[in-house]
Amino acid sequence: MDILIVGGGKTVYFLCRTFLSKGHKVTLINRDLDECTWLARRLKAIVVYGDGSDPQILEEAGAYTANAVLAVTPNDQDNLVICQLANLRFRVPRTLALVNDPDNEEVFKQLGITAAFSTTRVLASLIEQRAGFEDITNLIPAAEGKVNITEIELKETSPIIGKPLRDIALPENSLVASILRNGQPIVPRGATVLQAGDRIIVTTLPENHGQVLRMITGDTE
Amino acid sequence: MRFNINLGQRYQAILSYAGLIYLLGGLLMIAPLLTLMAWPGEWVHSTGFLLPAIVISGIGIMMWRFFRPHTPVALTVQEGGVIVLLSWVVVCLFSAWPFMAILGLNFTQAVFESVSGWTTTGLSVVDVTMAPHAILLWRSITQLVGGAGLAVVMLATIVGPIGPGLPIAEGKSDQLAPHVRKSVKLIVGIYTGYAVVGIMAYRLAGMTLFDAINHSFAAISTGGFSTYPENIGHWDSAVIEAISIVLMILGNMNFLTAYLLLRGKFKSFYRNGEVRVMATLLPVCVLILILLVCRGIYPTLGKSIRAAIFEAVSALTTTGFTSTVYGNWISLGIFVLTVLMLVGGGTCSTAGGIKQYRIYLLFKSLLWELKRLFLPRTAVIENYAWQGELKNFISSEQVRQVATFLFLYLSLYVVGSGIIAAHGYKLEESLFEFASSQSTVGLSIGVTLASSPPLVLWTEILGMFLGRLEFLVVFVSLGKIVRDSLAMVR
Amino acid sequence: MSPGQRLYIIIVGCGRLGSYLANRLSRDGHSVVVIDIDESAFDALSAEYSGFRVEGDATEFAVLEQAKTDEADLVIATTREDNINLMVAQIAKKLFHVPRVMARVFEPKREEIYRDFGIEAVCPTSISGDIFLRWIEGSSAMDGKGS
Repeated sequence: MDILIVGGGKTVYFLCRTFLSKGHKVTLINRDLDECTWLARRLKAIVVYGDGSDPQILEEAGAYTANAVLAVTPNDQDNLVICQLANLRFRVPRTLALVNDPDNEEVFKQLGITAAFSTTRVLASLIEQRAGFEDITNLIPAAEGKVNITEIELKETSPIIGKPLRDIALPENSLVASILRNGQPIVPRGATVLQAGDRIIVTTLPENHGQVLRMITGDTE
Repeated sequence: MRFNINLGQRYQAILSYAGLIYLLGGLLMIAPLLTLMAWPGEWVHSTGFLLPAIVISGIGIMMWRFFRPHTPVALTVQEGGVIVLLSWVVVCLFSAWPFMAILGLNFTQAVFESVSGWTTTGLSVVDVTMAPHAILLWRSITQLVGGAGLAVVMLATIVGPIGPGLPIAEGKSDQLAPHVRKSVKLIVGIYTGYAVVGIMAYRLAGMTLFDAINHSFAAISTGGFSTYPENIGHWDSAVIEAISIVLMILGNMNFLTAYLLLRGKFKSFYRNGEVRVMATLLPVCVLILILLVCRGIYPTLGKSIRAAIFEAVSALTTTGFTSTVYGNWISLGIFVLTVLMLVGGGTCSTAGGIKQYRIYLLFKSLLWELKRLFLPRTAVIENYAWQGELKNFISSEQVRQVATFLFLYLSLYVVGSGIIAAHGYKLEESLFEFASSQSTVGLSIGVTLASSPPLVLWTEILGMFLGRLEFLVVFVSLGKIVRDSLAMVR
Repeated sequence: MSPGQRLYIIIVGCGRLGSYLANRLSRDGHSVVVIDIDESAFDALSAEYSGFRVEGDATEFAVLEQAKTDEADLVIATTREDNINLMVAQIAKKLFHVPRVMARVFEPKREEIYRDFGIEAVCPTSISGDIFLRWIEGSSAMDGKGS
């Protein structure tokens, strides 16, 4: 894929590195000359010095041929303009904007940027849901935040081990999606019995997330 | 030279607007003659109103036309202050005319009654049993308009773009709406609403229409004049007292806070510092009064409770209505009332005193200082108080200004009380009466009489005037006038 | 909107242009709210300004809500950054349904694109450029160059 990224900072650097290692072609636009120099020395990407919200710079950086544009600057207004330009003027198939103010996720969507996501929201939910449950990794809020996917390691004290799945009354709209036992993935069936040490992946809704976690870990807090 | 020309232009604007206010004052002076419709026999007194009305209106119109700027001029706060000072002094003097002409009061007494009206104090040297109805209505009108503010009323009804300088100078600085004229119209609208509701309520409770009008005006302006010497005590009615209490509290509430309440924003209302001060101070003081003071004086518990609540509310809201006499109150009761009078009502309202917001701010500052001792040394703390629906972050400058004001206030209090005491009055009485003057309350322990020494009356006049206009307007405006006059002459 | 009607106007950015507009509009009797991220910017407001001041970042939805943008008749975006102006203008137009939205855009290349969003954009660069050009062409004393 031909990816165009606008922004700076460590996140952008590692994003580029990740894409490059997967074999994509990456072009980076950055406003700070020193940072451009730094990036150019370390990445096999094309580094363009300029304002990514300037149509001319975007054109020079190859927006007409890009498959994806990622706007990850620290300013929501710049990310908005970059994505709108990419969509309307350059007709780039996929555009994604980073949104710093979580409220703007919704705002961007209403202004036509469908892929807008807020790291704040993800981090915040990670912290909130992680607190008190050390064995749990919350992978991602998926489907626009309407579904949570969480990985939990079952301890000896978990109330749901030793019973077949069909006998465990999980709340509606939650599901044990996958089980990892001794490094092997198992597709759960009604007769599957959970054991201590299993790492299970559950999908939950934000409303029943706490309840499901409590049922699985046995924590009454 | 250029400076002088510019200064001249600014003063032309100032004088023209002051002229407008004089015109307003003059027109108001004709209003009491409406009483002739009900009491035609009193027409003999009409010249006592018509003459000063014509003179001051005439002067006002001339100043307005002669000095009028070609395009409306926006006033700075300092210029607003000068207009406030010029208009209040002249209008107060002219309002004294009817008292001299009709009641035969001497200059000191007449000016006293006039100032007591406009500043919404309510201390009186007039024998209301002998006064014609026009005089009684005039007193109430001066309180009604003085409470809202001469300049504010004028702004709401007339002029074009002259900016927020004038309402700020006269003490109605809170922005209810994003434009000064809208804010001022809202204030006058709310105020009129209070008056109308008050009149209807008093009528339903049994007052005559004339009494209802006078007392409603006096209640919502937190003025306190009455058509009877016993004041509200004349009716000895729990219902009338209750209505009065509601009106007094409404009148003393900051207009922005009242506007919030009217719009149903209860959360913002409860967060307001002044509401909290009232909600803590009143119950505590009322309890002290009931248990330790009134029970020993009044025959029934019911009467004790009524008296305690009524007098406490009247003192704190700086209204000055009274349902009883203080002759037999013990010192503790006088002390509690004096403290309540000094604390005073809400800012940007018709009330006087140090003002609840300032007390709230200083109290919170104390708490914040204590809290600071328990936080990390290098913590950065931003303390705030709610102003309407927004957080007002308190800077040390604001605290300093409030502390300075408090110092000024108490200094004047000490001097004023001292002068009264020097005339031979008891300490307790001097402290009470001057607090009543300076905080524009109007409760009297007996020091203020027509027969009081002139210096006592003039001291109280000064206290009322400075208290209503919050010192700084007076001092700064005087200073500006002096400095500008010197500059123009040089 | 007829002239002489009292409007509820929100001005984003209290710099030279923003404060100039705010002072004049408030003086003319309109209800004005000024939003700026920096409190000291409000010092540019004159004695005749009697509107509200909101300190905050206008790209935050909550700040625009606080300024009651849904009740505004007109929003004018005058910050120093084109992108902020354009974002605020779009939010005002599409999300708050403000009848008229105006923005200052410094970069001529962006001007066009945003007219399509129904935002009345003023580009000082283009206007100044056109005026200078007219002066230059006028002074070469050739007729037929006009309008």
